[in-house]
Amino acid sequence: MIIWLINTVALLGPVLAESNPQDEDGGGWLLLAGPAAGVALYGMLFRYYRNTDKSHSFERETTIESQPVTGTDAKVDEVRGTKRTAINGNNVKKYRDRVNRVE
Amino acid sequence: MNDAAGEAPGGQSAGQDQDLQPPLAAAAPAQDPAATSAAEPVPSPLPGQGDPNEPVLVGTQNQRLGDGVNRCPRCGSTEIQLRPATGMLICLFCRYEWSEAAVEGQIFAEQPLTELQGTVLGSGASNIDASVEDVLTLKCGACGSEVIVNVANAMSARCHWCRNVLTVNNQVPNGAVPDAVLPFALTHDQAVAAIREFAGKRKTFAHRRFVREFSPENVVGVYLPYMVIDGNASADVWGYGEVQTRSYTRGSGDDRETYYDADVYQVQRHVDYTVDDLTIESSAERANMDVFVNTNNVINAILPFDTKHAVEWNASYLTGFTSEKRDQNIEAIRPMLENQLLSIARSEVQPSVSGYDRGVRWEHEKLEVHGTRWVSMYLPVWLYSYYHEEKGRGMVHYIAVNGRTGETMGSVPVSRARLLAAALTTGTVIEAIVIGFLVATA
Repeated sequence: MIIWLINTVALLGPVLAESNPQDEDGGGWLLLAGPAAGVALYGMLFRYYRNTDKSHSFERETTIESQPVTGTDAKVDEVRGTKRTAINGNNVKKYRDRVNRVE
Repeated sequence: MNDAAGEAPGGQSAGQDQDLQPPLAAAAPAQDPAATSAAEPVPSPLPGQGDPNEPVLVGTQNQRLGDGVNRCPRCGSTEIQLRPATGMLICLFCRYEWSEAAVEGQIFAEQPLTELQGTVLGSGASNIDASVEDVLTLKCGACGSEVIVNVANAMSARCHWCRNVLTVNNQVPNGAVPDAVLPFALTHDQAVAAIREFAGKRKTFAHRRFVREFSPENVVGVYLPYMVIDGNASADVWGYGEVQTRSYTRGSGDDRETYYDADVYQVQRHVDYTVDDLTIESSAERANMDVFVNTNNVINAILPFDTKHAVEWNASYLTGFTSEKRDQNIEAIRPMLENQLLSIARSEVQPSVSGYDRGVRWEHEKLEVHGTRWVSMYLPVWLYSYYHEEKGRGMVHYIAVNGRTGETMGSVPVSRARLLAAALTTGTVIEAIVIGFLVATA
């Protein structure tokens, strides 16, 4: 699969880029669409059959009773002119990703 | 233009480079953009935390039963087994049906989970003594002969002289007899239908040998060992959150790009919570969920069970089924419990930071477990196993059916040639369309 991807881009990229010299990108990135679709389909089907990503959703499927959440929020800085659409390292929904544990 | 994420004018990047040291400095006034969070001081830990090194043992031995001959209460026969349709034990001789008592609310003293302190466990969850053998020798109470039972995979045996069934009910410290058992509610036929349906949806790209040899009638009912845990805990998390204040575009045409401004907050949250019947594997082999070497994760995925309906131990519930023995003590399971409690805490505080529309980066977390209580339990799983070898590496692929709810999950070995063919065909078609488009617009 990877060999096919490299071959496709290597063979057709320069040809198409040359065919459209005005376009700085040469539209070359579009050539990745085919290999990307192939890789995505392979991964999707593999997961559907092997279910390697499945596990018990204990966060939702266990009876949990919480007291009201308390806490503090203090503004410490501002970010200006970033192209990033979310905070760097956003893990608010990645409950199972462990961070530094304080004893 | 360079990505300016986190660059405060003339200063150090706030959201990335500062080293956040919990607990937070208390001087900063609370500014809470999240509607659901309260800017209150963090309450101190609950007082009177018990010593986790001194667990309290609660006896769960079924006093009416012992090892060896256990008879039908009405006719005295030993031909007793589970009737899944009713969840009752049935005497195959006189058809009398009965059930052991439910354990919910019976093992531990009634108390709110918020008051749970220290470690309490059923005697069936006590530490395993490595010197106690798995192979037990039972003396047949009917004819006096000796019968051997390997409790690693069975809890009953038939006396080869008088044909009575002998069962193992006494708790000895080898992990074989748990505090409670949850009987099968799904029949063999229902399990076969569930497995057939699951695999039927996964035929096209399945390995051809698997398709040829697939025989769901071989599904086996197995009681697997778990710890069912109640917990009372508190957790704290610290990190940074961002709230978008402005978005705007620069450039024109193809160079047009969107930029964002945001306020950065130090965020801290505290939650006190209880969990009821958190279920964790108590067999080291089943707890190993490395998907590169086994498919145990699919058995984990059919959780949860309706553990509130578990009953007192009686080995007759296992007649006709196989079982796997517990080989893990609570201290070996505790790291997994704490890991899951932390994940639950992170899930519980998530709604309180929904105001941070650019997300939150948690950097530190703390867990205090005030109290836990543990019950060892056998839970019912219909298990279809298929050994598949590929490139000299073998793996057992399971299709598992929850013996109570019917929830089904499995792993089907794939035909890599078929998957590659599908991927190449799809990729080629899309590539051809792209090339056509590029040539047309060149």
